[in-house]
Amino acid sequence: MVEAPVEDKRITLKEAAKMVPDGAHLFWGGFGFQRPPMAFAHELVRQKRRNLTIYTCGSEMDIDILSGAYVASRFELAFFAIEGIGLAPNIQRRIREGAIQIEDYTNLAMALRFLGGALGVPFMPLKSMLGTDLVAKTRFRQKKAEVVKCPFTGEKVVLVPSVRPDFSIVHVPRVDREGNAQIDGIKGEDVEGARAGKKVIVMAEEIVDTEFIRSQPDQTVIPNIYVTHVVECPWGAYPMMVYNYYDYDMEHVRMYYEQCKTEEGWQKYREEYITGVDNHVEFLQKIGIERLLKLKAKKPLPY
Amino acid sequence: MKKNYAKPDEFTTLELMAVCGARAIKNGEVVFVGTGLPMIAAMLAKRTHAPKAKIVYEAGFIDSNAIDIALSIADSRLGYRASAAIGLIETLGLLLQGGHVDVGFVGAAQIDEYGNINTTYIGSFEKPSVRLPGSGGGNDIISSARRIVVIMTHEKRKMVKKLDYITSLGYLDGPGAREKAGLIGGGPSLVVTNLCQMDFDPETKHIRLATIHPGVSLQHVLENTGFDLTIPESVSTTELPTYEELDILRAIDPHGIYIPRPK
Repeated sequence: MVEAPVEDKRITLKEAAKMVPDGAHLFWGGFGFQRPPMAFAHELVRQKRRNLTIYTCGSEMDIDILSGAYVASRFELAFFAIEGIGLAPNIQRRIREGAIQIEDYTNLAMALRFLGGALGVPFMPLKSMLGTDLVAKTRFRQKKAEVVKCPFTGEKVVLVPSVRPDFSIVHVPRVDREGNAQIDGIKGEDVEGARAGKKVIVMAEEIVDTEFIRSQPDQTVIPNIYVTHVVECPWGAYPMMVYNYYDYDMEHVRMYYEQCKTEEGWQKYREEYITGVDNHVEFLQKIGIERLLKLKAKKPLPY
Repeated sequence: MKKNYAKPDEFTTLELMAVCGARAIKNGEVVFVGTGLPMIAAMLAKRTHAPKAKIVYEAGFIDSNAIDIALSIADSRLGYRASAAIGLIETLGLLLQGGHVDVGFVGAAQIDEYGNINTTYIGSFEKPSVRLPGSGGGNDIISSARRIVVIMTHEKRKMVKKLDYITSLGYLDGPGAREKAGLIGGGPSLVVTNLCQMDFDPETKHIRLATIHPGVSLQHVLENTGFDLTIPESVSTTELPTYEELDILRAIDPHGIYIPRPK
């Protein structure tokens, strides 16, 4: 029997972010406080990327940073806020400036748009959005959603366009170097979103031996066939959370929220934590090992 | 069994709102909730009269038995002793749109007299004064759950004649409108505020006063309402929380994250 050598898709965070050109369209993974690709957002800011279009269901501090630094100019999404605290401060300011535009859908609509893209069909039907301004009002898309009668039953459904972004960016707990990714806890819309992208970059808390993945294949939610590159990135979602790995750092999140209420405060945060450091490891060093260790999940609790 | 009610000065308005929300859940129901007061209300229901209720959070946690207060709908805390952790297509698509959800709990920035809800823009669409968080799963829940409970603060600028933006459809302008739009869910059934509870006339689908919280006058409710509220001939006072409910409620949120402790 001939054993194929294990393919190695590993690249660095810097290399991964460099692949994304100005104006690219991205599926942005994670949901709420869970597994946002925060380190990828930081690196895009450091590399001064511009005019990205971001597709996601519900995202928070990560896309607020992308908005504050003028990395993203368009969003198609369902929700953004700093949950439990308040409205996303940079996004409010950038909307007032006219620097970003948002096309609103619902969480189910966005998740189905990713599924449609992944399935290779041009649209998906759903029973939400009917009768609302989500259908009636369009920000920048020529066509956003369409109410039609089902040709089989005659009932009304909304059709939403599928999405096939240039890149899908997801952050997961474990991946092997071939790109087989495993997610603990909720998956949000990452299972569909990862499959929708033309190129897929998987960031992970740890890169594990492929034999470990293959000893529990039922845990794999993104098989390597979909995955273009793999990036090892411990604490890649900090100050948000990764199920079974670490809790959020609410003190840091609150500090961010309070400080970013003003443009000056945001610029100070950006300089101190993002552009003032050279890379993700330097950012983590700035946060400090003691602080990070306190956040480690206290098993059997996943936080 | 005789209920042992607390006195009006022994609980806060937020505690009363959480108790009202909890009582809207029946034992055995599948409940779709967001974080904040809805989550506290559902946890209270599960620990009192509705132990068989199954709590679903849209991020993917199903039949959650959380023991710590979550800040995010995707918070790992909600995974504690859940029966499953899946994703959005499972919760909002297969469970909710598939017709398995009895009651959805939502908040609102604005509501009108037919229960239509805005969580997207304050001001005009062209030049909004505030950009709110958006639908999230709110529109999905209000579209497809069998009934909807809304929990929100009672202010004139929130209880409006005309919404700035319709994020989610209540009854639009009266009976039959939801069905005509093609929606499968039953629509709003109860609105719990810091002043009162409101329900919807089954004939006209118009919002009406159901109960007034203790110590609140009808005049005060009307002064803080921007739409025409139907007032039935007799309006009773909201059933007070019991000592048991308050004890359990305070144990659920011991640090007062969503419900600050009474002084």
